[in-house]
Amino acid sequence: MNTELIISMGLVGVMLSMLGMGLLIAYYGSSKTRNVGFTFLIVGAGLAYYLAEIGMDAYPNQSFMNGMLAFVGGMIGGIIGIIVFLIAIIKS
Amino acid sequence: MDMSTHNLDIMAFFVSMLIVGIGVALLATGIFTSYFGAGKSQKIGFVLLFFGAVTLTLIIDMAFGTIGVMPDDVFLRPAFEDALVSGVSALSGMVIGMFVILFVLMKVDTVEDLEDLDLDDLEDLDLDEELKKLEEELKQDDDGEEAENDDGNSEEKE
Repeated sequence: MNTELIISMGLVGVMLSMLGMGLLIAYYGSSKTRNVGFTFLIVGAGLAYYLAEIGMDAYPNQSFMNGMLAFVGGMIGGIIGIIVFLIAIIKS
Repeated sequence: MDMSTHNLDIMAFFVSMLIVGIGVALLATGIFTSYFGAGKSQKIGFVLLFFGAVTLTLIIDMAFGTIGVMPDDVFLRPAFEDALVSGVSALSGMVIGMFVILFVLMKVDTVEDLEDLDLDDLEDLDLDEELKKLEEELKQDDDGEEAENDDGNSEEKE
């Protein structure tokens, strides 16, 4: 159970980095670097397809969705914490 | 793919990790601000550090019931552990992905990108000659200013 969750959520993290960095590198890079950016994008899209279509059969659906919920919650919580820090620093 | 949300355990997964995220962010920013800040900023850093530590302590108490201050049935222990594992795994996956990207970018030969730059103009430049021209221009400017100052002084005397 936990191993499947760790693998699936780890793949989600890798997918997000590949898509995010791939977009940036493909847009701002030139010639060879740009091609590498497109490769990252394709790898990210492949991982997304795997998680959405094939991986769902391998990983328990509900626990994966709950894991995504936890990840999104953690990210939003982190952003709120940083906003609180910025408000405290700017207001002082 | 089943994307239905009616079975999701929002309280155990989303809310618990939201509070953990706020606590970790407050703790991390508090540590940095209290260490690198000075005067008022340092005090704010200590306050952030305190609130971060309190938030994390309370959520651990709510999930595991180790301290006994908060009701320990707010977050179920197995669900909270799963949520924590999910969040940490996803963050680890992101870090691994970043390292892969960095590794690939460092391994890829990006000399072609530099060749795209038009360096012919720079190669044709004779730097010594350009430096001499600049020095001459500066001398001429200085001479001009001195001549103007001399004219001003002689007019004042008259």
